[in-house]
Amino acid sequence: MKKKKNKALKWIVNLSFVFISFIALFPVFGLIVSSFRPSSDLMRSGMSLTFDLGDLSLSNYIFIFSQADSYWQWYANSLIVSSLVIFLSLFFSSMVGYALAMYDFKGKNFIFTLVLFIIMVPFEILMLPLYKLMITLQLIDTYFAVMLPLIVAPIAVFFFRQYALGLPKELMDAARMDGTTEYGIFFKIMMPLMLPSFAAMAILQGLNSWNNFLWPLLVLRSDSMFTLPVGLATLLTPYGNNYDVLIAGSVMTILPIVVLFIYFQRFFISGLAVGGVKG
Amino acid sequence: MKKLTGFMLLIFVLILAACGGGGDSSSDAGEADAAISVGDDIEGATELSFWTFNELHMDLFEDSATQWNEENPDKPIKLNAQTYPFDQMHNNLSLALQSGTGAPDLADIEIRQFSNFLKGDVQLEPLNEYVEPELKNNVEERFNLYEKDGNYYGIDYHVGATVMYYNQEIMDEAGVDIDSIVTWDDYVEAGKQVTEKTGKSMTTVETTEQFSLFPLISQRGSNYFDENGEVIMDNDVNVETLQFLQDMIHKDEIAVAAPGGFHHSEEYYGFMNDGGAASLMMPIWYMGRFIDYMPDLEGKMQIRPLPVWEEGGNRTAGIGGTATVVTNQSESADLAKEFLAYTKLTEEANVKLWTVLGFDPPRFDVWDNEEMKADNKYYDYFHTGIFDMLSEIREEIAPIYYTPEYSSAQQEVESTVLYNVLVEQKQTPQEALTAAAEAVKSRQSD
Amino acid sequence: MVNDPITNKLEEAPSERVYKKPSKLAFLNSKKVAPYVFISPFILSFLILTLYPTIQAFIMSFQRVLPGNVEFIGLSNYERIFNPTFFLALKNTTLYVIFTVVILVVIPILLAVFLDSKLVRFKTIFRASLFIPSLTSIIVAGTIFRMMFGESDTAVANQVVTFFGLEAIDWRYNSWSAMFLMVTLASWRWMGVNVLYFLAALQSVPKELYESADIDGANVFKKFRYVTLPFLKPITIFVVTISIINGFRMFEESFVFWETSSPGNIGLSVIGYIYQEGIQQNDMGFGAAIGIVLMLIIFAVSFIQLILTGAFKRSDE
Repeated sequence: MKKKKNKALKWIVNLSFVFISFIALFPVFGLIVSSFRPSSDLMRSGMSLTFDLGDLSLSNYIFIFSQADSYWQWYANSLIVSSLVIFLSLFFSSMVGYALAMYDFKGKNFIFTLVLFIIMVPFEILMLPLYKLMITLQLIDTYFAVMLPLIVAPIAVFFFRQYALGLPKELMDAARMDGTTEYGIFFKIMMPLMLPSFAAMAILQGLNSWNNFLWPLLVLRSDSMFTLPVGLATLLTPYGNNYDVLIAGSVMTILPIVVLFIYFQRFFISGLAVGGVKG
Repeated sequence: MKKLTGFMLLIFVLILAACGGGGDSSSDAGEADAAISVGDDIEGATELSFWTFNELHMDLFEDSATQWNEENPDKPIKLNAQTYPFDQMHNNLSLALQSGTGAPDLADIEIRQFSNFLKGDVQLEPLNEYVEPELKNNVEERFNLYEKDGNYYGIDYHVGATVMYYNQEIMDEAGVDIDSIVTWDDYVEAGKQVTEKTGKSMTTVETTEQFSLFPLISQRGSNYFDENGEVIMDNDVNVETLQFLQDMIHKDEIAVAAPGGFHHSEEYYGFMNDGGAASLMMPIWYMGRFIDYMPDLEGKMQIRPLPVWEEGGNRTAGIGGTATVVTNQSESADLAKEFLAYTKLTEEANVKLWTVLGFDPPRFDVWDNEEMKADNKYYDYFHTGIFDMLSEIREEIAPIYYTPEYSSAQQEVESTVLYNVLVEQKQTPQEALTAAAEAVKSRQSD
Repeated sequence: MVNDPITNKLEEAPSERVYKKPSKLAFLNSKKVAPYVFISPFILSFLILTLYPTIQAFIMSFQRVLPGNVEFIGLSNYERIFNPTFFLALKNTTLYVIFTVVILVVIPILLAVFLDSKLVRFKTIFRASLFIPSLTSIIVAGTIFRMMFGESDTAVANQVVTFFGLEAIDWRYNSWSAMFLMVTLASWRWMGVNVLYFLAALQSVPKELYESADIDGANVFKKFRYVTLPFLKPITIFVVTISIINGFRMFEESFVFWETSSPGNIGLSVIGYIYQEGIQQNDMGFGAAIGIVLMLIIFAVSFIQLILTGAFKRSDE
C-alpha cells in the first residue's frame, strides 16, 4: 500500500521536474530554434510556437561568421576580461578571505563588517563618482576600468572566509615548524585545500564578468573595446538593422558557457556545498 | 550528458559547414558598419572624430570627407566616425563634456537632448562665422533651436516638416478622396468612413513618444514653454489637443495606439507594412523608414500637408532634428568647424542631404534645384513634387521655444502624460498636463 | 607587492625577533604582519572603490553639478526627491523586491528539498537545466523575453493566452504585466542559483537526524519543519539578504524591456530614476541624492530583516 503510494508520488514529482526543466530550458531552446529564422520577422511578430519550416535557414549564422567582424572582437574582449577577472579576483579575494578566517589580528572584526557593508552598498550608487575617477585616472575605454570594480569581490571574500574557517589550523603550525613562510603556507598548503571553493567562485565571478553590463556601458567608448553585452545592446537600436547578429550572436554567447558549466558542474556544486553553508 | 554534447557538436558542425559553403549568399548587403574611417592612408592628415546615433548620418560624413580630401590636399583630414545607441551616445557625450576629457571633435545631438547641453557653461563651439552669412537662405527656425545668448551651436540635417502620409489603397477602398481632407474635422469624418468601410484604423497615435502630440500643438502655435521660458504645458490649446487624440482613439475609435508604443518600433513597422492603418502623421524624414522597413507599401503612399485646425491655419509643424556640433575639446576646432560647414551648410551639401539621406534640407534655395528633381528611390516610393509642396508650406512652421528644461518636459509627456491619458485613461488631459507642468516648474525653480 | 617597506618597518614590534632572518623583508613574514599583507588588496579597493566614491556621492548630493560650474545648494536636491515619480519608482522597486524575495526563496527551498530526496531521478540533469538560465546574460535573456512576450498574437506568450480563450495581451504596456515580466525574468534567471545554494546547505543536515525522526514517527511535513528548515536557516538569511539588495538594485531587468523610459513609468526602478536624472538629465547632484536615500533604505530594510530573522542572536563562533 505504502509502496504504491510512493511510486505514484515518485511519478508526480519526476513529471513535475520534467515540466519545470522544460520551462527553464524553453527560452534557451526557443532562441536556438529562432536563430534559424529571419531575424527581422522575429523582432516584429515575436518568437512563435508555430512557424514555417521553409523559413529556416542558416543566414543569420552565415552573416555572423562572414561579415560581423566586430562581433568576434567583442567576443575576444569578453574572453580576455573575464579570464583576467577570474584570475585576479580569485587570487586577491581568497587571500583576504583566508586571512580573515585564519589569523587573529587587530581590526579583523572591523574588516569583516566592512566586507558585509560593501555587499550592501549598491554599486550603481557609486557609479557616477567612480566614473569621474576613471576619467581622472585616464582609464576610460580600457579593460582595466571594466575589471577594476570586480577584482576584489566582497561576496567572494565572504565565501572564501566561510570556506577557510573549516580548514585545519594545525596544518599551519606544523608548516611553521618546518620553516615555511606565512605566504608559503597559504600558496603551497592552504590554497590547494581550498580548490573546490575556487571552482565555485570561478564560475560565479566568470558569470558576473561575462554578463556585466551597466559599468562597461559607461566606461567603454570604442566599438573595438566593447564586451559582448555592451556590443549586443548596441544592436538593439531602431537606427540600425542588425538583428541577425543580435539573435545568432546571443546563441553563440550562451553555448560556450553552457558547455563549460556542464563539464564543471560537479566541482561547482561540491564547492558551494562546503563554503556556502556556515552563515 | 554525452548525447547533449553530441547535439552541441552537431550544431557547431552545421554552422561551420554553412560558413564554408555560403560566403556569397549573404542577403544583407545593405548592412552598415558601426564604425567608418576615411583618409587612413593620407600622411599628415588631421584626425577628426565624429559620434552619431544614426548609421545613415555616417554615410553623409563619409561622402563629404572623401570629397574634402580631394578638394583640399593642403589640409587633409582623417575622419573616424562611430555609431552608438541613442542613449549611450548622448550619455557618454554629456559625461565627457562634463568631465572635460574624452569627447570627440564632432558629434550629433538629438534635439530633445540638446537643451541638456546648453546648461551651465556651454561646452560647445559657437559656429556663428559660418552660420550667420547663410541664415537668409535657410529655414531660420532650424538654427534658432540650437542658439543660446546669440551663439549658434548646431547645424541640423533637415527641416523636419510634418506631413500626412496616406495609404492610397485603403483610402480608395473606403471611397475617400484624399484631397477633400482640408480640416481636422474632415479628417475625423474621413476616418469614420475608413473604419466603417474597411475595418481598418484611420491612423495610429504614439503613446511613448511625442510625435503625435507635439506637431499638433506646435501646428496650433502652442508649445511646452512660451517665449519667456514660462511653462505653458497645461494651457487650453494643449489640453484640447490631447483631448482630440484621446477622442480619436476612445470616442470616435478611428485611431489605435501605435503597436510598440511609437512609430519607430519593429512591431509598428510590421503593422504598417501589412496595411494596418490608412494614414500616418510624421515628418518628411520618416520617408526613409518607409523605404527601409515597409517595402510592401511602395507606390501606395501619398504625401500631403497636414489638415488645418481652422481656415488659413498652419499646414505643417517642425519636429525632431539632430544638430551636429563641434565640442570645445577638439584640438583642431577650426578645421572641424570648416569641415562641418562644408558638409552641411553649402548648397551642394544640402542637395546631398536629400539625395543621400532623403531629408528635407534646411536650405530652401536648393529646393527647386535641378539635381533635387532627379529620380531617386524616394520619388519612386512616394511621388514627385514633394518639394513643391514643401515650398508652399515653408512659411507655416511655427517657432519652437526650447529652454534648459525642455527635455524634462518632454520626458514627463512621454513617460507619464500620454500613457495615463491615452492608454490607461486614468487622468483627464487637464489633470495629466497640470501635473506635468508642476513637475517641470519644480525643476525650474531651483 | 604594494607594501611600503618603511611604514611596515615602523609597525614591526621590537619583540618580533623569533623569525629573524638575514633578509630585510623578513619582518613581512611575522604572524602579526602577514594578515595585513593578505588583506591589503581589500583595504586598497575599499578606499578607492567604496569609501572615496561614497564620500564623493555624499558631497555631490548637496551640489548642483553643471559643466564648468559646481555650486552648493544645501538640501534642495533632497527636498526635490519626494515627488510622484520617485514614489512610483520606489513602489515599483518595493513590489519587485517583495515578489522576487518570496518567489526566489520559497520555490528554491522546495525544489532543493525534492532534488535532495530519493524521489527524484536524473538529479544532475534537472539541476543543470535549472541552472542554465543563469548562464545567459541579461541582455540575451531580455532579448528572448521580448520576443516571447511580443504584442502580436503569434508570440509564444500570447499563443498560450489565446489558447485558453483569453485575449492577447500587450505585455509591455500594462503596469501589472510589466511587473510580471520583470519578476518572471529575474525568477527565471536566478532560480537555479538559489536552488544550488539550498542544495549545498542540505548536504550539511546530518542524516541521523532524519533516522531518529523516523523512529519518533514524524511524518514528512514534521521532518521538513523541525529537521530540515532549522538547518536551512543560515543560508536562507544569506539568500534573503542578497535577494533584497539585488532587488533594490534592479535596473537591467527594466532596461531590456524598455531601455531607459517606459510608458507611464511602469518599469521605472529607483536605480533607473538615478540613471534618468543623474545621467540623462545631466543632474548628477540630484542623482547622487537619490542614491544616498536609496542606500539608507537598503540599510534600514536589511537591518530590520536581519533582526527579524534573528541573525544577530547567533553568537559568532
